[in-house]
Amino acid sequence: MTRSQTDQPAPLDHIDLTACEQEPIRIPGTIQPHGILLVLEPGELKLLQASVNADILFAGGVNAALGKPLARCWDDVDPALLDDLEQRVPENGIAHLRQIRANERSFSAIAHRAGESVILELESAEGESGSLDALYPRIRAFVDDLDGIPSTEELCAAAASHVRRITGFDRVMVYRFDDQWNGTVVAEDRNDRLPSYLDLRFPASDIPAQARELYRLNRLRLIPNAVYRPVPIVPTDNPQTAAPTDLSFSVLRSVSPVHLEYMQNMGTPASMSISVVVEGALWGLISCHHAEPLQVPIHVRTACDFLGQVVAMQVAARSRSIEAAERVERQRIQTKLLAFMAAEEQFIHGLTRHADELLSLADAAGAAVVFDGACTLLGETPDEAAVQAIVAWLSEAPDHDDVFHTDSLVTEMPDAEAFAEAASGLLAISISQLHPSYVLWFRPETIRTVTWGGDPRKPAQPEPGATRLHPRTSFEMWKETVRLRSRPWTRAEIDTADTLRNAIVGIVMRKAEELAQLTDELRRSNKELEAFSYSVSHDLRAPFRHIVGYAELLRESDAIQSNERNRRYVETIIDSAFSAGRLVDDLLGFSQMGRATLMPVRVDMDRLVGEVRRILRPETKNRKIEWRIGDLDPTWGDPSMLRQVVQNLLSNAIKYTGRRDEAVIEVRSERTPEETIYSVSDNGVGFDMAYVDKLFGVFQRLHRMEDFEGTGIGLANVRRILERHGGRTWAEGKVDKGATFYFALPHQARE
Amino acid sequence: MAELKNILLVEDNPKDLELTLEALERSQLANDVVTARDGAEALDWLFCRGPHAGRDTGDPAVVLLDLKLPKIDGLEVLERIKSNDELRHVPVVMLTASREESDLVRSYDLGVNAFVVKPVAFHQFFQAIKDLGMFWAILNEPRPPRPRPGSMKVIEA
Repeated sequence: MTRSQTDQPAPLDHIDLTACEQEPIRIPGTIQPHGILLVLEPGELKLLQASVNADILFAGGVNAALGKPLARCWDDVDPALLDDLEQRVPENGIAHLRQIRANERSFSAIAHRAGESVILELESAEGESGSLDALYPRIRAFVDDLDGIPSTEELCAAAASHVRRITGFDRVMVYRFDDQWNGTVVAEDRNDRLPSYLDLRFPASDIPAQARELYRLNRLRLIPNAVYRPVPIVPTDNPQTAAPTDLSFSVLRSVSPVHLEYMQNMGTPASMSISVVVEGALWGLISCHHAEPLQVPIHVRTACDFLGQVVAMQVAARSRSIEAAERVERQRIQTKLLAFMAAEEQFIHGLTRHADELLSLADAAGAAVVFDGACTLLGETPDEAAVQAIVAWLSEAPDHDDVFHTDSLVTEMPDAEAFAEAASGLLAISISQLHPSYVLWFRPETIRTVTWGGDPRKPAQPEPGATRLHPRTSFEMWKETVRLRSRPWTRAEIDTADTLRNAIVGIVMRKAEELAQLTDELRRSNKELEAFSYSVSHDLRAPFRHIVGYAELLRESDAIQSNERNRRYVETIIDSAFSAGRLVDDLLGFSQMGRATLMPVRVDMDRLVGEVRRILRPETKNRKIEWRIGDLDPTWGDPSMLRQVVQNLLSNAIKYTGRRDEAVIEVRSERTPEETIYSVSDNGVGFDMAYVDKLFGVFQRLHRMEDFEGTGIGLANVRRILERHGGRTWAEGKVDKGATFYFALPHQARE
Repeated sequence: MAELKNILLVEDNPKDLELTLEALERSQLANDVVTARDGAEALDWLFCRGPHAGRDTGDPAVVLLDLKLPKIDGLEVLERIKSNDELRHVPVVMLTASREESDLVRSYDLGVNAFVVKPVAFHQFFQAIKDLGMFWAILNEPRPPRPRPGSMKVIEA
């Protein structure tokens, strides 16, 4: 989901450089002037094409030589060279055949094949002596050094320093490509003649695609002096193919004028580059510059190429071992996170409470966990509203996979520019199919992680705007390229996120299964309880009914009627069995309360209290009670259950004021924004607040049985009913000063 | 004068049976009482089959039906009565120890005529039985019941 190279918008001032992409760099038709190029037919070594400066070889001039075997047009040709050309030109790559002298000058003779032709290049080697053998100790020193070098950065630094020592360039830097083909100078070795470019960044367009391909194929390129007049090759087309000869592997090949302008602006007329090709792909360049023209002999270049290949192998090995180490580290972090999740009651806390692990898992600066409607932000993230917007956007897009990643969120989600600073890069995993639940990782905009302006190594600048083609301008262009863009997510990071996702989805599913199982168990045990209380209600009541029934019959008999004591005994039997029966009834009522279906409707509390008072009339016989009933707010609930609540509380108030000459019972209501609170106050015996917690428990009594009868279930029932309604109940009291019982019911949306 | 119809009392518990009969006795109802000790017996009597094939008595004035019964339970007996065209009109009173809401709902769904939870106190139970007997007996009689000479006749189905 990252953007490909081709659809990057070209910055406005960038047109000249992108035009490079069209340049025919493999067939420039010219060479640099520091040598002579001859295109030969392999069999008889007939001259097919030649650079016009070859006339120094041919007595009759170039045009006369064309079409003739080399031996017949080049008078003092070295016979050994002719042998070499017949026998030693390799099928692939270039060969340094030998040093020759021609026209009183020294040349390195270098040959390679291009299609059906052999290309012989005579590179000027004036005043040079030396051989690859002489360089061997230095190359060996480099290879020996590698053993102790732990990091790729230090490897690059060592390569830069060794290449500089071998070649004598003023500055050697190692330039590394990123995924987008933008380049960074990661190592440098130099003297004071050239400024430092260390850490400089260049946009991909600085080295066009076809140039990069050429770098990949031909690992070494030298420009001894950027200020040169190109030497044309004649004729333009190779007679064998009727087309220009491919100079991809030519050491003298003329380079793009744009590049030459660039080199001149850098103040570096001489430059050389050695490609570091890792596993078939261009990884970077060892780029050498000199403040003056500089010719690097072929044997030194060969040594540099060897060095470049050593670097490439080391880079490959290191990146493999780094990758392996990272994989192990990620695995370790992931295992930790899984253990955290397993240990938490809410598995998601295993992620949200371990920010360090979660962030380092994807090497992110920030993360957000959105699960079950809750959003947890960790590290550097956009604000919660922005995160929710991202989540909404993610869940709405139909084509998003389980793992989503981008290094430029704004190109996918236009609204994202507002929070590009913290979230240019987004890696997201969807962790639930049902709800929009995600784990998101964020990376900041890259531009904010790079400093240039305040860099003390900043090179001395020509006045700005003097030229487009300057590293300073390149950096500006690079900034444009990486604007609203983060460091990209690696395959390993994306894979790790995916693995974590699978683990979480597994946990979510297991939790759901556990929940389903628990629900099943609950349902089963509820059923058992129901069966139990059903049989209790039938079988336990019967014996009490029988005791009372027979005792009442017995009471009528003469034998009992005539004896006061016997009568009292029978009365006690009846009373006891009667209260036992009532206890069973109350208990069953309590257990039914938990199961009965709630049928909530609007309840007129004035009317309900009135009805309950009528029901309780037998209990208030011979009592003097002052009722103070306020205007009661209506509420929403199951009327028969609420009737039980009110009946219980009023009946308690009547019961516990039994010893007052004049009882006062007050019922009030109050509406708050959340609920309606009802209170029943009395001036009865009250209770000690120390025992207030026990009031609403089953079988909890605060008074002796003979003082106030009751089964101790009433208030437990009141509390259970309120709980079933989502309400609450509580009480205040003082010994001998009365009590107030409150119950509150939440407002309903339907009200 | 139409012959007084029977009351069919279906009750498995001997103590409940005795207490209920005592209550009926005291209610001074003129009707004879037929007792059945489980649902199967009750249905045999009602449908004149098995040992009761060809019995000469007609349909009962009321069936006092306990809910929990051996063999065939009260709800099923009720269902068979109410789904039979001949017997549908026979009033059935559920007489039960249960306060279970589900029983109540189910009974009314099946077409019960009344549902009485047996009170614990005998005097209350007595009053309930008396009220029931009076009500259903009067409903099925052209004139008020009169005290009958001698004791109530109890027939075991």
